[in-house]
Amino acid sequence: MVDMEIKREDILHLADLSDLSLTDEEVESLGKDLQDIIKYISQLDELDTKNVEPTYQVFEMENVWRNDEVVEQEADREALLALSEKSRDNQIEVPKVL
Amino acid sequence: MSKYVPTIGIECHVQLCTKTKLFSEVDNDARGKEPNSCVSPVDYALPGMLPRLNGEAIRFAILAGRAMNCEINALSRFDRKHYFYPDSPKGYQITQFYQPIIGSGYVELPSGTKIRIEHAHLEGDAGKLTHFDGYSLVDLNRVDTPLIEIVSMPDIHSAKDAHDYCKELWRLMCYAGVTYGDLYNGNMRFDVNTSLAPEGSKKLGVRTEVKNLNSFRSVERAVEYEIKRQTKVLDSGEKVVQQTLGWSDTTGKTTPQRSKEVAADYRYMPEPDLPPIHLSAEFIEAESAKLPLMPSDYRERFKSVIAEDIMEALLDYPTLMQKLGEINEQYVKNVSNWFASVLLAEEKSAEYLNDLPSAKDLNELAEMNEKKELSSTATKEVFLRLFDPQMKGRGAKNIAKELGLIQENDLGALEKIVDAVLAKPETQKAQEDFKAGQEKVLGFLVGQVMKESRGKANPSAVSEILRNKLTK
Repeated sequence: MVDMEIKREDILHLADLSDLSLTDEEVESLGKDLQDIIKYISQLDELDTKNVEPTYQVFEMENVWRNDEVVEQEADREALLALSEKSRDNQIEVPKVL
Repeated sequence: MSKYVPTIGIECHVQLCTKTKLFSEVDNDARGKEPNSCVSPVDYALPGMLPRLNGEAIRFAILAGRAMNCEINALSRFDRKHYFYPDSPKGYQITQFYQPIIGSGYVELPSGTKIRIEHAHLEGDAGKLTHFDGYSLVDLNRVDTPLIEIVSMPDIHSAKDAHDYCKELWRLMCYAGVTYGDLYNGNMRFDVNTSLAPEGSKKLGVRTEVKNLNSFRSVERAVEYEIKRQTKVLDSGEKVVQQTLGWSDTTGKTTPQRSKEVAADYRYMPEPDLPPIHLSAEFIEAESAKLPLMPSDYRERFKSVIAEDIMEALLDYPTLMQKLGEINEQYVKNVSNWFASVLLAEEKSAEYLNDLPSAKDLNELAEMNEKKELSSTATKEVFLRLFDPQMKGRGAKNIAKELGLIQENDLGALEKIVDAVLAKPETQKAQEDFKAGQEKVLGFLVGQVMKESRGKANPSAVSEILRNKLTK
């Protein structure tokens, strides 16, 4: 894994999944950044984790449930809709998707 | 011509009828409410918002799982399934990919065929998009409505079984009380995978997936269509293309959906914001014990009194079966027949079934019928009145009295009426004729007594008394 190489296609694939359009320079620099990050994280591969349970969370909590009761929200519809770039008929307006 | 064996697997999404959403304390029942009126900053996925798990959804999942004879897993977790689409402000769906709460089990169809369940898991629903010319609108009311996704094994081999499986799932979820089960409003949605393999082949063929069906009939028709279409493709020597299809009830055809060019890549990862669910055996046991009677329980319990076809028709109405469960055992046969013939035949089921008569009234009515205080016609009349909002509060007995339908069974009183009729000059000839052996004039005499009683006498009792008196 240490030698995993981030290719140009990987960056384009990730950008596509996130619906981002990148310039050639951005593809270049993001690729380099991601390569560095993975290289850094890959140091962990040196450790033998064969007998270690995977870590899903760092707090030893479980069964954090709440009651099924409606709580009046402070933020109302108008406040939330105001956060979107455009709204119409009490809905968020987005470019046409299909 | 070559023969193929169809294999069908079904994924079913069930919206749970909890009061609040899966991860936020917001009203989960958005029926008839304005867009974006049931939302919170958590649903909007504002930075720093923390999802908090609804405990009721866990309990519902246990009930749903037990309804399908499934193992409930002691340990389950949530994961993030990433995709970018305006119906999901988070940019991912919170689901259970690695460790679902519901393990393997099975659903038994009315025919006796068992369909195995691979697993079922909890997840949040997505928002609703409406497309217009040049733009789309987003309503987040449905975001994180709790869903249970039920994944079947590829055990289904005909369109009919696909239909029956979906219908049985719907019944199970309704009887378990975990969903409103309103198919028209998308409370249950089916994704159907169909493939064909040559007879005898051990390998499954290439499958297609028809997404988002919301009626049993659509499931059946879409499968029928896919079997035909794929048979044609294979017979002409071509290959079935693995793809996602849409179904149109209007055209009766499946059509390829515009698919993303790249294969789906959801980059699943554990959801760090939600601690794992760890259920003790005692908790699972205690919650499972709350499972109400299931269709199979009713089939077993009433198999000697309710005919199979009537049973299957009535089973579509959980409230009705629950009501039958409260009826005195000796009256279940009669009451179920009234429901079947009067209600279902009149197709007033929807309005009637929301507000059924009380078990007390139904028992009372059945008892009056059994004691011959009411003729069968009069019984049906009172039965219908029990659904009448103006009448129902008054009780079966009072309604029967008010309508003057109670038959006179008091033998002493009947005898007096009979005597009065026999004393009338116009019945003398008939009496002579009967004594001379003319059986059929008894009907005339019974009729006279009925008239005298203004229709309230029990005809069979009258005929008995007349016979006794005239043959003395």
